[in-house]
Amino acid sequence: MTPASLRGWRLVHRWTSLICSANLLILCVTGLILVFHHEIQHLMGEDLDSSYTEGQARLPLQSLVDIAQKADPALVPKMLSFDAEDKAVNYIYLGKPEESGFDLGRWVVLNGFTGANQMLKQPEETLVGFLLKLHVDLFTGFAGQMFVGVMGLLFVVSTVSGLVVYGPFMKKLAFGILRFGRGTRIGNIDLHNLFGVATLVWAFVVGLTGAILSFSPLITGYWQKTELAAMTARHPEPMTGSMVSIDRVAAAGLAAFPGKDLAFIAYPGNEYAGSRHFSVIVRGHTELTQRLLSVALVDAETGVVAEAAGTPWYMTVLMLSGPFHFGDYGGLPLQIIWALFTIVTGMVTVTGFVVWLKRPRARAAAAGRGAADGKMQDKLGSKA
Amino acid sequence: MTGVWRIPAALAALSVFGLAAAILGDGVWDWLCWATLSVPLAACAVKLWRQWPGLSLLRSPPGAN
Repeated sequence: MTPASLRGWRLVHRWTSLICSANLLILCVTGLILVFHHEIQHLMGEDLDSSYTEGQARLPLQSLVDIAQKADPALVPKMLSFDAEDKAVNYIYLGKPEESGFDLGRWVVLNGFTGANQMLKQPEETLVGFLLKLHVDLFTGFAGQMFVGVMGLLFVVSTVSGLVVYGPFMKKLAFGILRFGRGTRIGNIDLHNLFGVATLVWAFVVGLTGAILSFSPLITGYWQKTELAAMTARHPEPMTGSMVSIDRVAAAGLAAFPGKDLAFIAYPGNEYAGSRHFSVIVRGHTELTQRLLSVALVDAETGVVAEAAGTPWYMTVLMLSGPFHFGDYGGLPLQIIWALFTIVTGMVTVTGFVVWLKRPRARAAAAGRGAADGKMQDKLGSKA
Repeated sequence: MTGVWRIPAALAALSVFGLAAAILGDGVWDWLCWATLSVPLAACAVKLWRQWPGLSLLRSPPGAN
């Protein structure tokens, strides 16, 4: 590498890191706690009611929808969402009849076995909800979420540029050398290099998947407006009669993809469905295949599958970003490992910042300026 | 590969394998994930433990050598 390009990489590493460092620290602290969100929700009594006895039959989906609608008869069902981990937890979105999005209505959470209705608390009212808001969008909605996504991308560039400048710096140094007796700057440089290079792959993966998740509204929006819209446009027939039951729709969708589980069902008129077709979105049930979605359009009047398809690669990337960001795919030991990596990443951030604060050039320049000023004053003084 | 990259490359390879392992399956895959992902963390801990000033007495009690 030429000295000029090394200088360039150093500049990239310095500025990408500095710009994202404050946000990164917030992400590390909130993320460190959020790794254990299930355990915390359980401790705080904030977890959802998912109790059922072994062998108990699920309630028909139609009766769940009826229970949900009873809470707010002015609203109509628009979307059903099924928890991948917790079979008993069902989310039902009720919206205004004319609404195609998710802005004017509300989500109802039902136990799929007992029908027990539980009000979703506002995120600010629970500890996990509060931390998640802070982590995802800094309490500033969509714009904040995009901001955090850009910070995530800067962090990714910072890890890559950090790797590039690591090599030349360590040319004459042993891996993991920590020169604590040589002053604050050297000690922090060595800690930064050791922790940074040892956890680089993890930090890169968690940073990149975090950025991808931040941009999830754009990614799902793109899929919905392109492939899904093209699919529903091929079946433009309007509703003329009455709808078959939601359970028949679900069964038809599942029959199109044997061995899969329900993930979402969007009602006709919702932006994820057709004008007269339900979208039944299914997933597998292993750690890997539960992130692979497929969609079937089911005619609401006949209960017949009109078209079935997979989802494009970018939706799979988005879905797979979840586990690799949350660290929730390998039990409690992996959560603990995730937390430890988060702590080390926080220390890389802090030591890197200290190295920047203690940069010699600023001191030398300041000292040089000071000396020059002194000389000037001497001259002026002698003149005066 | 020069000496500078030997250990970082090994830690990176273990990290990639560990991150992927638990998504591929459960049981033995989980154990492989936990074991391999612990290595980079252990490397940090060992280097810190061996070189942290003030711990030298703990590490080699007088007369141990």
